[in-house]
Amino acid sequence: MTMKKYFSIAGTLLLATCLFLSCEKEYPVDEDGLLITTRTECFVSNFELLGSDFVTVRVGAVVIDTTAQTIKATVQFGTDLKNLYPQFTLASDCKLDPKITGKTDFSDLANPRKYTVVSGNRQIRKPYTILITVQPR
Amino acid sequence: MTALLFIAGCKKQEYALPIAKDVLQNDAIKRTLGPNIVGQTIEFAYAMAIQPSKGKLVSAEVEATIAGGTGTFLENNTYFTNQSGVDVGIVVGLPSSNSGIKTTVTFTKDTSASTLRYFYVIPPEARGKTVSFKFTVKSSDGATASYQLGPYTVAKMDMVRSLAVSNNNLAYISIEDMKVYNAADAATNAAKIDLVYLFRNISTSAFNHALVSPAADTIYLPGITLPAGVNRSTKMIKVFNLQDFNLAQLQYGIYIDDLDFQQLNFATAPNFGINLKQEAGVWVETADGKYRAYIYINSVNSAGNAVISIKRLAL
Repeated sequence: MTMKKYFSIAGTLLLATCLFLSCEKEYPVDEDGLLITTRTECFVSNFELLGSDFVTVRVGAVVIDTTAQTIKATVQFGTDLKNLYPQFTLASDCKLDPKITGKTDFSDLANPRKYTVVSGNRQIRKPYTILITVQPR
Repeated sequence: MTALLFIAGCKKQEYALPIAKDVLQNDAIKRTLGPNIVGQTIEFAYAMAIQPSKGKLVSAEVEATIAGGTGTFLENNTYFTNQSGVDVGIVVGLPSSNSGIKTTVTFTKDTSASTLRYFYVIPPEARGKTVSFKFTVKSSDGATASYQLGPYTVAKMDMVRSLAVSNNNLAYISIEDMKVYNAADAATNAAKIDLVYLFRNISTSAFNHALVSPAADTIYLPGITLPAGVNRSTKMIKVFNLQDFNLAQLQYGIYIDDLDFQQLNFATAPNFGINLKQEAGVWVETADGKYRAYIYINSVNSAGNAVISIKRLAL
C-alpha cells in the first residue's frame, strides 16, 4: 500500500517534469525578441506622416511604389519637416530598420530618408526611400 | 462543525442609530481643481454643526497664511438644492468682513448647522509660495473648533483669457505683456512683439489661421508689412487636443501647470505655426528665452478673427 503511494507520487513528479520540459521548445527569435517566421513578403502597404500635434500633414494619397521602392508623399504648406512622426504599415511579420522611436527630421529634402523593410524570415531586406514634396503656398 | 460555522456566519448584527457627537464639529473641503493661479479664486466649503440642545453657531472665520486679494470672501449664505437641482441660498449671517489675513462671518440666524463657501482670491504676493488655511467656528456655548487645509502651492505662471485678435488689425501678440496690439502700438512696443496673427484664405494650400514670428521666412507672412523694429523669432510647437480647463473653460479636465512648461524641448521647434484650428494651441518660447507660454485658440471665424487665451511662465 505505502509502496504504491510512493510510486504514484514519483509518477506525478515525472509527468510534471516532462510537461515542464516540453514547454521549453525553442522558437527562433531575432535580436529584438521577435518571432522569425517563414514569410518572405517584404513591402510597405501604407504610410502616414503626423505633425507635432499628431494630426496628419499629408495632402492627398501617398504613392507607394513597391517596385521602385519609393514612398511619395505631399505635405501641407507650412509643415514643420523637422518634427514629424512617420507611420508605416508593413506586410505580415515584417519589421523596419531603423526603428521609429519618435519625432524624425525629414527636412533634408535633397537627401531623403531611407527605411529598410525586413521580411518575416529576416532574409529579405528592401530599402524604401521617402520622397517628400511640400505643397506650394 | 461546518453547520455551526454557517450558523455563526449568518448571525445578524443589530443596527443601531449612530449617536452624534455632542461637541461642536467642523469639516472643510477644497472645491477647486487644477493649479492655483494668481488672480484666480480657490473655493472651499466649510461645514460646521453643534447639537441644538448645546447651543448655536456664533461666527465662522478663515485665516489664510497670505492675505487674499480683493474679492476674497466667506459666503453668508447656506445652500440647499431644490427639486430642480438648483442651489438656493439662505442668508444666515452678516456679509463677511476681511481683516488682514482673516475673513469672518457673524451668524445672525438661530442656526446650529451650516456650510459656508469661502472664495480666496490668490494675490500676486503668493506667487510661487504655499498658502494654508485655518477654518474656525465658534458656538454659543463658548466652544471653538478648527480645521486646517493646505499647504497649497501657488503656481508661478500667469494667465489671460479671451484676447481678441484680428487679421491686419489686432494682430501683434506680446507674450511679455500678455496683450495684443495693432500695428501702431506694435511699433512703439516693437521689442516685445513675439507673434503675428494672420488669416489667409488661399485656394492652393490650407493656410487659414496662423501665428507666425516676425522673423520667420516671409513666405509665412504673405502680404504683411511689419511695423518698424518688430523682428523677434519665437519658437513654437503646434498642439491639438490640449484644451486646458482654465483657458478653454470647456468640459475637458486637463490642466497645464508650471511643470509642463519646464519640460518642453524647443531645440528643433520652428518659428511659425499655420493652419491652426479652433481648440488647438501652440507652445511658445520667446526669443530671449525669458518666457514660455501656451496659447490656446478658443474660437476662430472665416472673417479673420480669433479669440485666444494664454498661460505663461517666466523662466
